[in-house]
Amino acid sequence: MPILEEPIKETLHLRNYIDGEWVDSKGEPNDVTNPATGKLIARVPVSTEDEFEKAVNAAKGAFYDWRRTPPLARARCFFRLKELLEENFEELSRIQTMEHGKTIDESRGETRRGIEMVEVATGIPSLMMGYNLEDIASGIDEYLIRQPLGVFGIIAPFNFPFMVPLWFAPYAIAAGNCVIIKPSPHVPLSQTKIAELVDESGFPPGVWNVVHGGEAIASCMMENRDIKGICFVGSTPVGKEIYRKCGETGKRVIAQCGAKNFLLVMPDADLEKTIAACMTSFYGNAGQRCLSGANLVIVGEGLNKQEFDAFYEKVVNAFIASASKIKVGYGLDDSVQMGPVQNKQRKERILGFIQKGIDEGAKLRLDGRNVRLVEDLPDTCFLNPTVFTDVTPDMTIAREEIFGPVANIIRTESFDDAVEMIHSNPYGNASCIFTGSGKWAREFQYRVECGNIGINIGIAAPMAFFPFSGMKDSFFGTLHGQGQEAIRFFTESKVVIQRWF
Amino acid sequence: MGNLNLTTSAIIGFTENLEDSSSVFYERLAERFVESKDIFQTFATACKKTKILVTRTYQETISDVLETGFSFEGLDLGNYAVEIDLSEDTTYTDALEIAIALEEKSHRFYLNAAKLSQSLLATIPRAFIKAGEGRIKRKLELQSLLDNTNLVH
Repeated sequence: MPILEEPIKETLHLRNYIDGEWVDSKGEPNDVTNPATGKLIARVPVSTEDEFEKAVNAAKGAFYDWRRTPPLARARCFFRLKELLEENFEELSRIQTMEHGKTIDESRGETRRGIEMVEVATGIPSLMMGYNLEDIASGIDEYLIRQPLGVFGIIAPFNFPFMVPLWFAPYAIAAGNCVIIKPSPHVPLSQTKIAELVDESGFPPGVWNVVHGGEAIASCMMENRDIKGICFVGSTPVGKEIYRKCGETGKRVIAQCGAKNFLLVMPDADLEKTIAACMTSFYGNAGQRCLSGANLVIVGEGLNKQEFDAFYEKVVNAFIASASKIKVGYGLDDSVQMGPVQNKQRKERILGFIQKGIDEGAKLRLDGRNVRLVEDLPDTCFLNPTVFTDVTPDMTIAREEIFGPVANIIRTESFDDAVEMIHSNPYGNASCIFTGSGKWAREFQYRVECGNIGINIGIAAPMAFFPFSGMKDSFFGTLHGQGQEAIRFFTESKVVIQRWF
Repeated sequence: MGNLNLTTSAIIGFTENLEDSSSVFYERLAERFVESKDIFQTFATACKKTKILVTRTYQETISDVLETGFSFEGLDLGNYAVEIDLSEDTTYTDALEIAIALEEKSHRFYLNAAKLSQSLLATIPRAFIKAGEGRIKRKLELQSLLDNTNLVH
């Protein structure tokens, strides 16, 4: 298959987008490399604290007028942005593949999901409405109004460079706030491109800002008293720290963190569809998503030993057969079904986990370290799908987040044991069950302590009009991103009790 | 035999190329055979519209497709490749025959793509079916032109 044309032809020198202007940073630039080809595609600055302060001041300055802009007028900016995102759909998608490595289908899916956030945010006149009640006492009425708070910071991860900041920014801004987005320094191009389209959409200067950088900028966000809240997506240790620090400075927090997601396969599951869904779940985005399947739990509920052995082998064999067929290569090649992991350090980390799995006694049934690519490329960031069987819940690979294309297959006798296994893990992001039984599905949904539940779904990804949930060590905060919860997060509920004499 | 486990992107890329090359083909026919200029220009425009329809449908539904782990298994694109080159000495009748072959193969491609994508959101097979219907209508019109030509001669 031919490689689709790359939209980035030469090394880009990225700038910050502050107060409606593209501003050169005085900070040192870092390289941004295409993980599939190893080619340098951009240089991104590590912005200085002063530059960040300028962005905060610009956002603060813009807030006064922006919150007074009627919601419908704010929505119109988003309608224009949506049109521009559609017009640039293909370029935006190819940029994601170039900076992150995901396949072009995955990038286009990510673009779509991002646009859906903008579409939902255009409903702000309805989403933001308060409520009222007459005669709460004699001649007294009471009503609730939602007011924006000011400036919010968004700290983005590397795995969804386009979509994740859009889980928050459209809702925050549509509600009348201003934002500063710090893209991941590994994948800063998508947010830069979005800011170009924001600029065309007619948002007033200072409402939408992008400041590149690393930990230092994130720390500035947490310390700054003018920042009213932080939205973070990333690892659990960092999320915990952000939650703690923001508590000290009185900020609101949405911290969506790490995960170790369990997928249960019950004996009555539709095996063909289950395996297809599992391939996307475990190997989509090269396993680098917080909703990815990590542990496949084959449950022998109601089966005798002989039946369970046969069922277990059937699932394992089907899983391995499908995983071994996945074509790995450059995501701009239409035939490719899995791209590289995002960077060399990520790959090293995943290799460490695979070794740990072997050392702790799991059976390596499909070794993704033997890299087979559909074309001639440097294998720096590539891995093929890996499958471990005979995994036990206490093993490192079953407990810790690998964030790569590695599947652990665990065997358990009963549904209750499987639920207990999920609960013994500190994370609570997503869990899925594959079953033909409404009873097991309901039990699962009712009992499992995870924020996002999939029933015959491999990736339990909430749509833009539902909150992206999470529990335990996968989420720190109260309200979640997306939909109505995001509107509540980005606004203060003010209650007015009124009487006229 | 070609690749029989295709990504959605591969199918859409093939469709886009098919509609692009069909559109160019009909534009060239419109230039060369003025007696049917309007018909060929209408066909060229229809191909452009079909491309927009299929691309838009794909872009709007790809996230759902991905989440089902779907791939177009068993669709051999090699079966639908069509030679639509026009040489200097291609006659009007030859051109109509080439066009009919193009429409026939394209129709079969769309029908198969629709059949294979039945498990996806209805908008996807519906777009393929609509594209296929357009092809079959054009084939009938082309056949009618060819029949008239044969009658005249």
